[in-house]
Amino acid sequence: MSDRPLLAVEDLRVRFHLRRGTIEAVRGVSFSLGRERLGIVGESGSGKSQTGRAILGLTPPPGEVSAKRLEFDGTDLLRANARELRRLRGSRMTMVMQDPKYSLDPVMQVGAQIMEAYRAHAKASKSEARDKALAMLEAVRIRNPVRVLSLYPHELSGGMGQRVMIAMMLVTDPDLLIADEPTSALDVTVQLEVLKILDDLVTDRGMGLIFISHDLELVSSFCDRVLVMYAGRVVEELQASALGAAQHPYTRGLMRCLPKLEGDLHPLPVLNRDPAWAL
Amino acid sequence: MATPILAAENISVAFGAGRLHTTAVSDVSFQLRKGESLGLVGESGAGKSTVLRAISGIAALKRGRILVEGRELPSPRDLAYYADVQMVFQDPYGSLHPRHTVDQILSEPLAIHRKRDPDAQILAALKDVGLGPSFRFRYPHQLSGGQRQRVAIARALILRPKIILLDEPTSALDASVQAEILNLLEALRAAHGLSYILVSHDLAVVAHLCERLLVMQHGAVIEEMTADELRAGAVANPHTAAMLVASKGFERKGAVRAL
Amino acid sequence: MAEASAASGRAGRRAWLLAAEPASRTQARLGRFYVSWKSFLGNPLAVVGLVIVIALILCAIFANVLATHSPYGGGDLRTERLIAPGEKFWLGTDDQARDIYSRIIHGSRLTLMVVVLVSVIAAPIGLAVGTIAGYLGGWVDVVLSRLTDIFLAFPRLVLALAFVAALGPGIENAIIAIAVTIWPPYARIARAETLTIRNSEFIQAVRLQGGSSARIILKHVVPLCLSSVIVRVTLDMAGIILTAAGLGFLGLGAQPPLPEWGAMIAAGRRFLIDQWWVAAMPGIAIFVVSLGFNLLGDGLRDVLDPKASR
Repeated sequence: MSDRPLLAVEDLRVRFHLRRGTIEAVRGVSFSLGRERLGIVGESGSGKSQTGRAILGLTPPPGEVSAKRLEFDGTDLLRANARELRRLRGSRMTMVMQDPKYSLDPVMQVGAQIMEAYRAHAKASKSEARDKALAMLEAVRIRNPVRVLSLYPHELSGGMGQRVMIAMMLVTDPDLLIADEPTSALDVTVQLEVLKILDDLVTDRGMGLIFISHDLELVSSFCDRVLVMYAGRVVEELQASALGAAQHPYTRGLMRCLPKLEGDLHPLPVLNRDPAWAL
Repeated sequence: MATPILAAENISVAFGAGRLHTTAVSDVSFQLRKGESLGLVGESGAGKSTVLRAISGIAALKRGRILVEGRELPSPRDLAYYADVQMVFQDPYGSLHPRHTVDQILSEPLAIHRKRDPDAQILAALKDVGLGPSFRFRYPHQLSGGQRQRVAIARALILRPKIILLDEPTSALDASVQAEILNLLEALRAAHGLSYILVSHDLAVVAHLCERLLVMQHGAVIEEMTADELRAGAVANPHTAAMLVASKGFERKGAVRAL
Repeated sequence: MAEASAASGRAGRRAWLLAAEPASRTQARLGRFYVSWKSFLGNPLAVVGLVIVIALILCAIFANVLATHSPYGGGDLRTERLIAPGEKFWLGTDDQARDIYSRIIHGSRLTLMVVVLVSVIAAPIGLAVGTIAGYLGGWVDVVLSRLTDIFLAFPRLVLALAFVAALGPGIENAIIAIAVTIWPPYARIARAETLTIRNSEFIQAVRLQGGSSARIILKHVVPLCLSSVIVRVTLDMAGIILTAAGLGFLGLGAQPPLPEWGAMIAAGRRFLIDQWWVAAMPGIAIFVVSLGFNLLGDGLRDVLDPKASR
């Protein structure tokens, strides 16, 4: 392991200045990421997605991002100019979103989109790009990659669309992948296949992965380390294997309140939110 | 055996015509006993929501019939049906009229069924779902997701139905809110002697709330079992088994490679 | 002391209006209205529009008080014809020696009547046709939509001209003609809105409570379509005034000696070069009132139509 982390985040804050006042969606998040799988878990409104977006510089207006330190592989992301950022984004760091339907261009063939993503960042001929796209589709276990190349996004099923999305995002061999609920829109069995693909890709290529999800159990079974967020802050950081030893009442409550196939409780324990957690 | 409170006999539902013709539900039969709650499980496109739509008359039956307490349902449904069977939808943001207060939302079913003394019934329904009278004149945008779903449940409850159809009632909610809503549904069932049909993709949720479940795939029922059998892992169909494995989370093969 | 209690009373009223837990139906409605009103006041142009429209209404109500002369009876035809604006006749006189200012003030009644009657007739027709077509769908939709298309296919003024020609000239017939020709866009808007909400879960929920189609359309669909139709009607009011003025100008609307603004311009066009004020003054009145309705409509859209503003 290199001594320099792939991504270093210190005191990250995201504020939205709205007419009725300023809302701070992320309030001082710090972590560092090596070539590992980091999970960020939280409920809606916890700031987990805004954290991921802020790292990639995708905070929607009127959002404002500030941090003591936000470095990707030695590059200061807050001070980098637009060109540098664009070069990093898409080639060395990239993002997979929840719903492939909204992330793929509906009037462009899948193959052309993947090839364009590749050629935007690498000098390659058309046929090289096509080979690369085919290889990528194979890597995400699409059975008939040649046929899929010429399909339009609406002709893909949910699981296929998400695989194509992953193929497109990974075609430039990025070092960092931020996946925001990449499997929440998928059926459980398909979800598992997509996770397997992500798992292999991360392991084989040595990428850093930030996996953002509301599903604590899924994240802990998939990631090495888990950050639990509540009201814009990280309330607990855990090794995924040590989830049972979680200390924070929010993490414990979140785990307990899920219905379980084994050892189900009636009624379910309810999470009582302590206002002090949000302080 | 007593007459089931709801029975579906060989129902089929088809959409579209010609090339676009698809059979959404084919030859599904089941019975719901009084006070029981039955789960319909399956992945997207399995036809489980269409079964609910067929019961409520939104989707027309191609074949088969549906009986409530031994009475075949007329088509279009009559007021007596709506007084007996109510539905709770998945999306608590889409199922409440954006310009109506909670009070208007709850008084609408009472007005349709010409019930007397709406004030007392509205307050009682709010109390049933754990919302105080202070919620009565709020608009949906002033409520959280969980509170909205409680209002939707109160609306379904206010006519004192015998059966409530639950279409993924918690899948749009956070885990902690889901627990509250599941507890509420369980308590209401005990308090009012309700029967539920719960549609969900989440095996744990179905096992929590239901005694019995049907697993659906491609519009057909592929397996019927009790919740206890599901917990014990006693499943026969490979698709059910795959869903069961998937619901237990991701299993990583091998250890993390040293980097 | 009194000031302090008044201030605290105002703050109390504000808190009452903005209460997160209204205690009654009225409070909830008023609170909602207050929030909309606040956001309306945040748009200065819209407030200007509202002021103009209110001024028009006040003019119409107090025309007898505000007018300095009779709008019909002229002065001395020998000495008081076509006098330029001055101290006695603020906006001058026309060729019948009538005071233009007084005629414009009284003309506001006609303008207001045209605008109100047209919108009262046309908006419900458009809403009804659009929501019924959109909600019921099928052949009802086909018939109603094609009917709408037929009306839309004619230029409004030409169609209105045809109606007036058939019904005979006069302000009442002009109103009917304009109303009959102006509803199709409202039907289109209402239908489009209805299509987006008819499959939403809150409409299905009412259906699953046993609500009839009529009840759903009236109580659930119409209120949601109403705001965009109101906005459109307000924006169209300028067009209504201009069409009425156009009919008046062509001699098919209000008949002399009624002080209708369009007819006044028509009468003044003969003296346009030498006595410009005869035609210009009613023209300015039409311009200001049309602008007022347009600004008001824009402001209302920002408040009432969440899709356009957010």
